[in-house]
Amino acid sequence: MIQNKFLFHQSSASLEIIGLPDYSNNENEDQISIISQWKLTIVDKPLIEGKIEHLGPIMNAFYIYSNLLIKNEIPIYESKLIDIKADNLHIHNIVLKSSKPNVKPLVLKIGNSLLSDTINCFDQLNESPKVRIKKTDIHTYMPKKLRFGLIKKVKFFNFFIPPFIAICSLILFSSSIIYFYSPFENIEKKELIKPE
Amino acid sequence: MRKSYVTNNIKLKEFDALIKITVEMSKYLYPYVREILKSKEDIEDNSIIWNDFNKRFIELIKERFNMDSIRVKKLLNQAENEEIIIKSLLILSFCISNQGYQKLKDFLYDF
Repeated sequence: MIQNKFLFHQSSASLEIIGLPDYSNNENEDQISIISQWKLTIVDKPLIEGKIEHLGPIMNAFYIYSNLLIKNEIPIYESKLIDIKADNLHIHNIVLKSSKPNVKPLVLKIGNSLLSDTINCFDQLNESPKVRIKKTDIHTYMPKKLRFGLIKKVKFFNFFIPPFIAICSLILFSSSIIYFYSPFENIEKKELIKPE
Repeated sequence: MRKSYVTNNIKLKEFDALIKITVEMSKYLYPYVREILKSKEDIEDNSIIWNDFNKRFIELIKERFNMDSIRVKKLLNQAENEEIIIKSLLILSFCISNQGYQKLKDFLYDF
């Protein structure tokens, strides 16, 4: 069976995905749902390839690290598979750890330009309609702080808008009733009656 | 921050429109943004692009921004503005995908 191959390219980085469509899910011949191989090529750097289950965590690592880098937090990402640390504002140190014993980790130093190329390759893969990757593997890159922030905002409005509308309608309703009842007129009438 | 006597708050629709324009521009300008970032990485060998960009950036700030503002002064201070410029360029370079609009919006809310 001929395998499909897709290349996601951005300047000095390219991501190659090789795999097969899931015919049991009535997919087209030119799609990939079952990834058999992936390769990340960065110019002047060693080839990065790994098991199928490693692609998701590596993409996650890059997304999380790029978020930390921008959010003025300490840009360090550490996991069993990959470590990414910033040497300085321009150079990033990537350590890819092999799951096989007695294999030395692969150390790469990439600059901001290569980091953005790699992130853009991953973005192209995520957005490609031809390659279906398990969305559970790839977390959305929206920072947690923001996610909570948005939920809080929504809850804040849901909490305050109903009583606000209730108070406004109460004021409107009661102000219209004022025209039908005048307490000063009644007091004057009573005062007029008393002297008799 | 801008040189303007009118202090209108930006509307949500205008904010969204600006983000869309920025994302479209960053798609088009990605090769240039990338070269500026690369120039800063090896500043000893390739400093011309970074220096030109920094010079023009400062010129534009002086021309269009309110120089009395402390935040603008910070942008002009070469010792402090490097990090701001690099991070701004990185944000632009991360947002050139089809979902760039949403990414840029998320980055800006969290900045």
